[in-house]
Amino acid sequence: MIGRAGATGVVEFWQRVGDSLASRMGKEAYLGWTSFNVAVREGRTAFSIEGEVTPLTDMAITDVDGDVVGYLYAMRQCCYGPTITRTRLSVGRMSDADRRVAEAYNEEVHDIAVCNFCVFHERFREEIAKNVSVAGNPLECLLLATRGWNGETKISPKNLSQVTIHEDHVRALLRNYECVYALLMRGARLKGEGP
Amino acid sequence: MSPEPARMPESNPFVEVATHLFLEDLAAKVGTAGLNQYLMSLARNLAQSMPEEEYPTWEDFLQALREGRSILSTFEEIRPVTDRCIATTRSPFERGWREYAKRVGAFAAVHQEAAEAYNSRVRRAAVTSVHIVLHTFREAAAARIRVDSRRVRYEPIATAWVDGTRAVIGEEALKGLLARARISPTQLGMLLRNHADVWLLEPA
Repeated sequence: MIGRAGATGVVEFWQRVGDSLASRMGKEAYLGWTSFNVAVREGRTAFSIEGEVTPLTDMAITDVDGDVVGYLYAMRQCCYGPTITRTRLSVGRMSDADRRVAEAYNEEVHDIAVCNFCVFHERFREEIAKNVSVAGNPLECLLLATRGWNGETKISPKNLSQVTIHEDHVRALLRNYECVYALLMRGARLKGEGP
Repeated sequence: MSPEPARMPESNPFVEVATHLFLEDLAAKVGTAGLNQYLMSLARNLAQSMPEEEYPTWEDFLQALREGRSILSTFEEIRPVTDRCIATTRSPFERGWREYAKRVGAFAAVHQEAAEAYNSRVRRAAVTSVHIVLHTFREAAAARIRVDSRRVRYEPIATAWVDGTRAVIGEEALKGLLARARISPTQLGMLLRNHADVWLLEPA
C-alpha cells in the first residue's frame, strides 16, 4: 500500500477508514457521566470496540463554573500492541512502513502517533465522540498521550492545554497506560478559556 | 529457536475490524478484482518476509506443525488429521468477524464478491475475502519449506466459515485431493462440523 500511495496516502486512507467505521456504529445517549462511565467499564459503548478502556474518574475535567464536563480515559494496552508483538515473533521485525506512516502523520497532522494505527485510532475516536451524548451534550475526544512498544512516548501540548491538565500528570499515567485521551462535552467553557 | 506459545499474544479484534473497513475502502477505489489482487499480493509478501524452513523428515515437519513452530502454524490452530491432511480448528479471522458483526453490523458484500472473484479466477475455495489471504499465504508459505530437500505443496480442500457457509473444491478435483490427503468424503464431512478449513500438504 505504501509503495503505491506513499505515507501520506496511507494516512488519508486510515483517516477515511476511521470516519467510515465511526459512521457505521450509530448514536448513543447516556443520562450522565456516571452512567457513561459504568457503560465504559462494562464495555458497552462504541469506544469499547477498541478493547478495555479505564475511566479515570479521579481525573475530572471541570468548566469555569466548576461543573464536571469530562474525564480522562486510558488503555493499558494499545490495540495494535499485540499485533506488533505477533509480527515481531512471527515475521521477525515490523515493516518500515509502520514508522513512515506514523512520521508522516506527526509531521502533517498531529505529533502524537507512535505507530501507524494511531492515525486511524485518533480519527475514529474523534468521530465516535460526536455520536455519543452525555446529559444531552455530544462529546469531543482529545488524544493526550501515547506510549509505543519500544517505550517512545508522545504527549500533545496542544490538547493538554485545552483540558488544563498538567503534563506531569499525564506522564505519570503513561507508566501504567499506553494511550490516554479526554472525553468532554463539546463546547464546554473550560477554565483558562476566553468568554 | 522458536517462541513459547504463551509469548504469542492474541491480537485485538479491533485491528481486524479496522482492516476489514480498510479493505472495503480500498475495494471502493480499485474494485473487487483489484481487492482480490491486493489480498493475494499481501499474503505472498507476508510469507516471503518470514524465514524459510527445513526439516529432515516428514514426521519432524508434522511435529513442528503440531507444536506451532512452523510458518504454517504461526497464525492458526492446526492439527494433522493424517500425515497429509491438515485441519484448522478455528479460523484466525473468526474473532474479528464476530466483533465486526457485534459492533458494526452485517459484513459488507464486497468481501463475498472478492471471494467470488478468487473462486472464478484461481480456485473454488473461498467464502469471504479472508480466505483469499489464508489460501494464498499457505500456498506461498508451504513453498518456503523443505522436507528432506523437497518443497512442500499446499492445496485447499474445503472451508467452513463462521456463518456455516462452505466452499468445497470442485467435484472433479475433490476425489483426487481426498485420496492424496488420505481421508474419505465422509471424514471430510465430519471434519467440517467443527473445523474451519481442511487442506492438503504433500511433497512437491
